[in-house]
Amino acid sequence: MKRPFRLIVTDTSPLLTLVLADSLDVLLRPGLAVSIPDAVYIEATRVRGAPGADQIVEWINAHLDMVKIVPTDIGIDQQRRLDEGRSIRGLGEQAAVETLERFLRSDPTAEALLLFEDSDVRRRHAIVDERVSLISTGDFLRELEAAHMIQSSDHILDLAAARGRNIERQRDSSTDTTTRERLRRQLRGNNDDLKQR
Amino acid sequence: MTESDREKLIRQYAAGEITWTALRERGFEDYVQVLAALGELGLRPPIAPMDGPNVAARERGRAIIREALRARR
Repeated sequence: MKRPFRLIVTDTSPLLTLVLADSLDVLLRPGLAVSIPDAVYIEATRVRGAPGADQIVEWINAHLDMVKIVPTDIGIDQQRRLDEGRSIRGLGEQAAVETLERFLRSDPTAEALLLFEDSDVRRRHAIVDERVSLISTGDFLRELEAAHMIQSSDHILDLAAARGRNIERQRDSSTDTTTRERLRRQLRGNNDDLKQR
Repeated sequence: MTESDREKLIRQYAAGEITWTALRERGFEDYVQVLAALGELGLRPPIAPMDGPNVAARERGRAIIREALRARR
């Protein structure tokens, strides 16, 4: 009998890196079931029109057979915090821990692979449970590259950074436009005041 | 945070000296901002060297992916 196995996404950064590089599909290449804790999903997609948000939603909907959003208590807390305008920093990872614990409890033979961002994976406390393995975005891409399933991990990472830069520049220019428009309106108002005097 | 502080942090991050969690604690709101700042400087997200307390778990992880990819060929 096959053991239950899940790839659990612990943070928004692997999703955002891959979506900006138009490479979310690489997550499915190994053919492993992917679990995204609700708090990670919400953090990545809650702002409509935010970079990559719509694509992530579409991608999940297109692969519901392979990708699952996992509800957690932390996710409920996250919702409450969002309603109250409080910080939700770090909740994605806590939700991933909850997702992992629930999954391992569900079956003593269950095994999980946690997907982390690269710089964070090095500084984690040691994972002692033999049923839990770790992979970073970079390690994941390197394995795909070694298997000739992608051309180059560096190319994907470069693409994500370049796309991020373009998005940020667009955001800045639209903020500039709004600011300029506000200033224009203000000046117009002042001129009208002067005319009335 | 000044622009030069931001740039310094991003360079440290790209060099693997500080973590994404640390960037978040110092004012980066989301990872898109990090990617954008890397892109502005012509840098890319770091790939972690195989060291630290979780090497065994990471090696297991890579082996799992390798095996899964092989099985799908």
